[in-house]
Amino acid sequence: MVPSTTGAVRGGSDAAPVKPLGEIIFAAVILSIGIVGFVAGAGIQTPDSASDIGPRALPYLVSGLLVIVGAGLIVQLLRGKTGEADEGEDIDPDVRTDWLTVAKMAGTVVVHIFLIIPLGWPVAAAVLFFGAAWALGAKPLWRAAVVGVVMALVLQFAFGGLLGVSLPAGVLEGVPFLNG
Amino acid sequence: MDNFYALLEGFSVAMQPIYLLYALGGVLVGTAVGVLPGIGPAMTVALLMPITYSLEPTAAIIVFAGIYYGGMYGGSTTSILLNTPGESASIVTALEGNRMAKAGRGAAALATAAIGSFIAGTVATVLLSFVAPYVAAFAVQIGPVEYVALMVVAFLTVGALLGASVLRGLASLGLGLFLAFMGVDLMTGQQRYTFGSPFLADGIDVVLVAVGLFALGEALYVASRLRHGPVKVIPVTGGWTSWMKKEDWRRSWKPWLRGTFIGFPIGTMPAGGADVATFLSYAAEKKLAKGARKRQFGRGAIEGVAGPESANNAAAAGVLVPLLTLGIPTTATAAMMLVAFQRYNIQPGPLLFEVEGALVWALIASLYVGNLMLLVLNLPLVGMWVKILQIPRPYLYAGILVFAALGAFSVNFTPVDVFVLLVIGVLGFFMRRYGYPIAPLVVGMILGPIFESQLRRSLAISQGDPLALISTPIAAGIYISLVLIFVLSFWMKKRQRVMESAALDDESPQGKEVSA
Repeated sequence: MVPSTTGAVRGGSDAAPVKPLGEIIFAAVILSIGIVGFVAGAGIQTPDSASDIGPRALPYLVSGLLVIVGAGLIVQLLRGKTGEADEGEDIDPDVRTDWLTVAKMAGTVVVHIFLIIPLGWPVAAAVLFFGAAWALGAKPLWRAAVVGVVMALVLQFAFGGLLGVSLPAGVLEGVPFLNG
Repeated sequence: MDNFYALLEGFSVAMQPIYLLYALGGVLVGTAVGVLPGIGPAMTVALLMPITYSLEPTAAIIVFAGIYYGGMYGGSTTSILLNTPGESASIVTALEGNRMAKAGRGAAALATAAIGSFIAGTVATVLLSFVAPYVAAFAVQIGPVEYVALMVVAFLTVGALLGASVLRGLASLGLGLFLAFMGVDLMTGQQRYTFGSPFLADGIDVVLVAVGLFALGEALYVASRLRHGPVKVIPVTGGWTSWMKKEDWRRSWKPWLRGTFIGFPIGTMPAGGADVATFLSYAAEKKLAKGARKRQFGRGAIEGVAGPESANNAAAAGVLVPLLTLGIPTTATAAMMLVAFQRYNIQPGPLLFEVEGALVWALIASLYVGNLMLLVLNLPLVGMWVKILQIPRPYLYAGILVFAALGAFSVNFTPVDVFVLLVIGVLGFFMRRYGYPIAPLVVGMILGPIFESQLRRSLAISQGDPLALISTPIAAGIYISLVLIFVLSFWMKKRQRVMESAALDDESPQGKEVSA
């Protein structure tokens, strides 16, 4: 589902002088999801008793849409009509894509996922906050760590303790108010 | 008159202290997320859904309604005071309001936006209270064929019309429908697109998709091109009572009302959405201005803030009409509201006013109350939001990530869901990077199952004859108006492009000077 980053790096930047490779790959992914939709759609069982158009019809229709739109986008891109990247208050339109920061953020989320069960949600959340703040260039780092720990504990208390959301307390198991 | 008593009954519920507290919480959170760049009301509703599960339905719906209205107010503060180009939803407000702020009239811009939002929100809520029951009474008579037609309109307008690129909008819609099909087919019980995985057999939870796209996707995208350095907020001085001069009042009141009556009907149409309404109101104000005031447009005309801001809020109330009476959301936020209703086993649609009358009227009453709270929160207390605007960006986006992970984990309490969130977030990142709109995916995913069941019901009744889909007069009328909407919108898009490029030409020299 995720286009290869190497291709996108070369295609990146706002004023891409060459073919927007990353964008073409993304359009190709859309096209191939459509193809997968057809192939996998053929495997959907249709009961004989079905009195209507059955469970396959709409998946086929949508797969067709994805194939056509994906192909159309590739044609547009090859002709040089690229998409307009999203704008936003915190987006600097003049800088190149910083893949390292994106990778650091995504990596932090992965670490978070593997920490939830063994160490508990508060620890995993504090790590997530600290990792993301570090990736985005927070200074000084000790303050990011403090904010992360406080935020994790407050959320654990508010949602786990007060609202009764079952967040595993992990290593903090047994501390009053924190049990989810 | 029945409806009037029902509304009074709604007030008697909404005015209970505990519900007032929930409404206050909702509008506070809503304004905060509206003010903060990077999060919007759609994402907030998605995030809060799993973690407010322990609330009873009325309380939860009141909180979500507060977030819905609050988000509309907060956005204008950001676009007026933040020294960067705003998001496209409020681009026209940003245009004039930001200019006014730079010229030292930020306070007047904030005030006219807040008061206009209040007037528009209140008038539009009154309209909603009186229009919605009639629409619902009418909607009871329509069958699956008409529903299919209405949803086709919603799909195509959200997917193909509202974004910059038709193909990208349709791709986004297609991906959403594809995700909607994953899991067990409700009508035959067959597995679809599960690829033999028991995890996928349950389908992908729409909360994961929404939070992944809106929160994680946005955070990753901002991370890739973060604007470093301190956040530049234009300062606002003086007591709030002195913000609007007599002249400002005189120039604002007509645009407020015009914006309201432009915004509400557009919001109620399946082709609606605040974008169209704000643009139309801006164009109308520009057209009606004369002489020196006309030349002020593009340099900070107060009419250009008052009108579009009112239209924006009135449209938001208008969107609730098809949402509540037909069960058809026309914006991403409305789509998330629909999911919120469904989680509580409340099905918006023609029968909602009969089956859940007490709840709907409590919801509508809380909209009136919320509007009043928002006026207070956004005039005397605007300083509080300016502080929020200055949160250092690393902390802001790290915090968004933590909330997103919390919401995702709370869906089923399994870390696998957080992984799904990450995958969807990466998809959202690339969609933003390559200019694919997010809203069609979310609307497609949420409406997809309803659309399919109505379509299959229609075709089962007609024994497979597709002509049946256009055979009723109402359905045929809907398709004809769809064609008209398309023609009209292409004409409008052309005009909008001309206007925006003219405005940007105007901006470039001045913009550089300020950022230097």
